[in-house]
Amino acid sequence: MATETGHGSRLVGWAAPPSGFGSLVSDIGWVCYRSLKKLSRNPLLLLFTLIMPLIWLGMFSQTFGTVFSKAESLPGTAALPYDYIAVLLPGIAIMTAIQAAAQSGFVMVSDIETGFMDKFFVAPIRRSSVLVGKLLGDAIRMAGQAVIVLGIAYLFTLAFGWKIPFATGLLGDSLIVLLAALFGVAFSGLSNSVALFTKSTETTMMVSFTLTFPLLFLSTAMVPLSLLPGWVQTFSMFNPVSYVATASRAMILTGFNWLEIGQAFAAIAIVGVLLNALAVYAFGRQGR
Amino acid sequence: MATAASAASSVPTSGSGSFRSEPMIEVRDLVKVYGGARGPTADSEVRAVDGISFSVSEGEFFGFLGPNGSGKTTTMRILTTLLGRTRGSVRVAGFDIDHDGARMREQIGYAGQSIGVDGDLTGRENLTLMGRLYHLPGPVVRARVEELLQLLQLTEAADRPAFTYSGGMRRRLDLGSALVHRPKLLFLDEPTTGLDPQTRNALWDYLRELHVRDRVTIFLTTQYMEEADQLCERVAIIDHGRIVAQGTPAQLKAEVGADSVTIRLPLDEGFEARRREALELVRTVPEVVGAAPVELGVTVRARNGGAVLVEILRRLEAGHIAVKEVAVSPPTLDQVFLRHTGREMRVEEVRPLTRMPRRGMGR
Repeated sequence: MATETGHGSRLVGWAAPPSGFGSLVSDIGWVCYRSLKKLSRNPLLLLFTLIMPLIWLGMFSQTFGTVFSKAESLPGTAALPYDYIAVLLPGIAIMTAIQAAAQSGFVMVSDIETGFMDKFFVAPIRRSSVLVGKLLGDAIRMAGQAVIVLGIAYLFTLAFGWKIPFATGLLGDSLIVLLAALFGVAFSGLSNSVALFTKSTETTMMVSFTLTFPLLFLSTAMVPLSLLPGWVQTFSMFNPVSYVATASRAMILTGFNWLEIGQAFAAIAIVGVLLNALAVYAFGRQGR
Repeated sequence: MATAASAASSVPTSGSGSFRSEPMIEVRDLVKVYGGARGPTADSEVRAVDGISFSVSEGEFFGFLGPNGSGKTTTMRILTTLLGRTRGSVRVAGFDIDHDGARMREQIGYAGQSIGVDGDLTGRENLTLMGRLYHLPGPVVRARVEELLQLLQLTEAADRPAFTYSGGMRRRLDLGSALVHRPKLLFLDEPTTGLDPQTRNALWDYLRELHVRDRVTIFLTTQYMEEADQLCERVAIIDHGRIVAQGTPAQLKAEVGADSVTIRLPLDEGFEARRREALELVRTVPEVVGAAPVELGVTVRARNGGAVLVEILRRLEAGHIAVKEVAVSPPTLDQVFLRHTGREMRVEEVRPLTRMPRRGMGR
């Protein structure tokens, strides 16, 4: 330290009071920046983050696509003007977001273990900024993944003649991306809560991944409601993934259904508030 | 502990002497109880901090000295708002930590035991992030980061991810990230644990500089006697969550009082007999408060050991006992700890592979 000034004049003065809205936004921004920077420093993780949705896309279109096309040709069903992949596309976007959400708690655990979280906590910022900044980083990552899923599907539509209507154009696609990212953030409350309560990466992984698949498959994300068995139909009514998937699917296949879109936002809000309230509570409880 | 180490412990005291009326840290009757509620019995309650009171003046270098689990870290985490407390009042940097936590935190820097560095980020990015979180404007952050990188000798490694750093480099980076905003009060939780002697000495020099030149008030915890002795102007010895002694290292040692005089005898035939004889002779000196046989001779505890030594040697000579070598060491903080707790302070190495000397090797 190079200043020779004595008592009093030095040291104080630079740091603005943390109450200002500007510093709140800046705090959140820097925490978010850090979390994205961290992601970019793990090229392999980044690569697989991007490849994974493509694998889902390829896998499901090849396997379930065949089944679906046979179901299509059953008597009484009209031939559909689109591929199964068009039905599935929003589901894949949501699935990718859910998987990112399941990992959300990992960084939390490692920050606590390494003592980096202490650095955040002794800085003159609100604890909530740390959580919000991190979630914002997650949201950007999830949105990026959803854009890639939709983008690739669009390219395949152009290049290989996949029959995906993209009925609502860029605006609808943006809404799908937004819904997927928001649902991801809402669901990451679970992973973060488990991480904060148990401080164990393994437990966090088990809990989140165990819930991921039932949530996806007991919803309308993979198969339209009418094709689901009765009890799954009932369950899917209570599954928020269904509402996000149904609203998004309509935007791909037919057009905006504002009621469904409203329901999707409502479902996300409910899940988000519940799970993230738990995470906020666990976060505030650290060291208390 | 070697004589040389204690002799070198003249930490320059603050020149101005202009203390403000309010201390930098003021702690009264601090208690922290862990567990209890969740445990099966009341026995599961752990009183990590058991009624601690102390204060630290502005510009002071203050240290908590105690073994692992004595409550040092818990106290420091409470003071930095990382941990809640069971009861007691705490004021830090003039603020009530309950009501003005954020304003208080602007004034302090903290480097914890587990190094709070993000390994994925480079050294420069780590420091920049912290500067930003302390709301410094961009140009100030850039200037401060450059300055710190240079001071902490991290310029060359500045753009490498921190996970590639050595232990010493991480420590320095961590210290740097606690200093970006130029805190007036610095909390250091066992800053040299796990460091090799060279790195440790360099860090000590830097801390002295920080304290003397920039008048940063420093509160440090350590389990190394030598570290407390070398750096701190005032030391509180803490054991089982209580402060058992408090004062300048010189005061504490003066309380114990006795120097130790070690007399080595030639290791030839009749060594045992002559050692017994020597013991009896030294005990006849009035100033001697204790004497015990050691491997190569005898050790004597006496006030004013230098002067007593002359008399001891005279009596040994009169008794025809040859002396091979003598050494006088002033009292050490080890003895202070022993006196107040009845136990030797044992340093538990965090990483057994690091070759950290348990005691000072002199310089």
